[in-house]
Amino acid sequence: MANGAIGTATATTGARVVSEDDVIRVEDLKLSFYTTLGVVRALNGVSFNIPRGKVIGVVGESGCGKSQTGLAIMRLTPGRIEGGRILFREFNAGEEIDIVQLDKNGPEMRKIRGNHISMIFQEPMTSLNPCYTVGYQIEEAILLHQTQDKAEARRRAVDILRKVGMPNPERIADSYPHQLSGGMRQRAMIAMALSCTPTLLIADEPTTALDVTTEAQILDLMRELQHEIGTSIMFITHNMGVVAQMCDEVAVMYLGRIIERAAVDDIFYDPKHPYTISLLRSIPRLGVARGQKLESIKGTVPDPYSTVPGCPFHPRCPAAIPGLCDAVMPDEVFVAGSRTHTVRCHLYT
Amino acid sequence: MLSFIARRLVNMLFLLIVVSFVGFWIIQLPPGSILDVQIQRLRMQGGSLPESMIQAMRERYGVDDPFYIQYWKWIQRSLQGDFGTSFETDQKVAERIYNRLGISFGLSLTALLFTWLVAIPIGVYSATHRYTWPDYLITFIQFLGLSIPGFLLALVLLIMASRLWDQPIGGLFSPQYADAPWSLAKVLDFIRHVWIAIVVLAIGATAGLTRIMRANLLDVLNMQYIQTARAKGLKESTVIWKHAVRNAIHPLVMALGTTLPALVVGETLIAIILSLPTIGPLYLDALRSQDMYLAGTILVMLSALLLIGNLLADLLLAWVDPRVRLE
Repeated sequence: MANGAIGTATATTGARVVSEDDVIRVEDLKLSFYTTLGVVRALNGVSFNIPRGKVIGVVGESGCGKSQTGLAIMRLTPGRIEGGRILFREFNAGEEIDIVQLDKNGPEMRKIRGNHISMIFQEPMTSLNPCYTVGYQIEEAILLHQTQDKAEARRRAVDILRKVGMPNPERIADSYPHQLSGGMRQRAMIAMALSCTPTLLIADEPTTALDVTTEAQILDLMRELQHEIGTSIMFITHNMGVVAQMCDEVAVMYLGRIIERAAVDDIFYDPKHPYTISLLRSIPRLGVARGQKLESIKGTVPDPYSTVPGCPFHPRCPAAIPGLCDAVMPDEVFVAGSRTHTVRCHLYT
Repeated sequence: MLSFIARRLVNMLFLLIVVSFVGFWIIQLPPGSILDVQIQRLRMQGGSLPESMIQAMRERYGVDDPFYIQYWKWIQRSLQGDFGTSFETDQKVAERIYNRLGISFGLSLTALLFTWLVAIPIGVYSATHRYTWPDYLITFIQFLGLSIPGFLLALVLLIMASRLWDQPIGGLFSPQYADAPWSLAKVLDFIRHVWIAIVVLAIGATAGLTRIMRANLLDVLNMQYIQTARAKGLKESTVIWKHAVRNAIHPLVMALGTTLPALVVGETLIAIILSLPTIGPLYLDALRSQDMYLAGTILVMLSALLLIGNLLADLLLAWVDPRVRLE
């Protein structure tokens, strides 16, 4: 079904979906976890693309599969990829590599990891190895991918630390992670991730564990470096405020599927999918009358071991059509009058 | 750093004094004394023992003095390097211990080295291949190693060695080599005698250490920084050995501190069974016959080893983990 959707999309707007200038094209990606309690289908046919030099926000509730999508691109997910393709193109008009086909610990994948695609994680407090200095851990990546010369690697590590706004980068390079604050550690992580000027940076909730002031600084920094280096960013978050600040385009995920995809303005001003609409309504806003109750999405995310027939959102959907939504999975279609805004909902077919 | 070591050394000295005093007090607590043991031995050899001779011995051993005077006499001379004379054999205490110390240390250090060299790689393998059949096999052997008492294993190996492989049992050397100068043949003969002891000593410790290593590494492998290391594009072997093992090895280093004295007397039971002349059996005999000076000296020596071991472990830990501060 998802294939069909992409098929139609390609036919109508070949210019966007199969653009030569996509860094990553994920097609119908399926990922499962086999546990003693049963099979968890984490991704059920995820398809999206990341244009070169753009910031794509991937949003959704906990457990919707957004982090696993990022980890699957890195081939670091502990789950099993059961289908689909992840096509990576390092240069514009360059050769496409299907990451799914590579051995996940093989030399080709390791050459991509940390070099062409790098990743920042949510927990800056535990993301750095406590036994090695910050500088050493950055140099490790540079020595692996860029140069054999230790002095040169050191020079570049200090350089990138300066670039991420570290005061006294030489001293920071010789510090151990426990001597730095959370915000400093996340800066160090960003420095490490950008040390080999990757084509794509996957940022998995990089500011969730930080306080608001530090968060704003880190987001500014990432935006700045993104302009400077031209790296594409896949920004995984559940915070719509961060999305508005950071992203060019947004993909909304629900239960292992992308259910809406649009430019950031369209998502905020013209959301289509009932889930996206509810998600936006559940954010507190300034200027809204006091005493008015904040809306919440009724119900909870279904048990991960079960599968929901039809549209996965229908049990919680205020606009569900009985007999259709609980039986047939909607295809991904373009919103009328748009060539960039897609939605997966029966209301728009 | 240096001030830390100096402070620790001063503390150690104080602790040693307390330990030696309490230890000496406990050793003399049971009724009777070395004198009774001696008198009984002389009587059994026949001949009457005149009262005057017993009186002379009483004075010589000083058994009628209160224990703190005995302690004072002993500690005074000990500080000058004279640990006294063993009541039992009239040999110098230092000499009796010294004769056996080398063998004790040699044996135990070999076993310890063997333990670490085997336990760490096996623990790492077991953790990285969790829930595969080699892991189950390793786990099974570990529990076997942990649950079979060392002395039983020693007995089994002794029987197998003598019945099946025609190997010498007991002692350190065959008679023809006992007084011969060192040569390759003598070394081989020595190894043939002590391998059982080393294997038995190593197996129990290896089983325990492998379990600890496996559990720790499993914890560390779930840490975010392991994912970070993988995300850099490092080889899996580098991720494991450079980033994971170094963080998982703390408890092993800590355990090393308490291993040092256990190295010297831990093999008592096994040494008795294999009739190896090590410190363990000597200590046991000294305690049983209330050979005060000998027992006291070994006790203080063991305490000193424990304290030194802990100091070394702390220093080693500070070197392994930069978060540990020596303050």
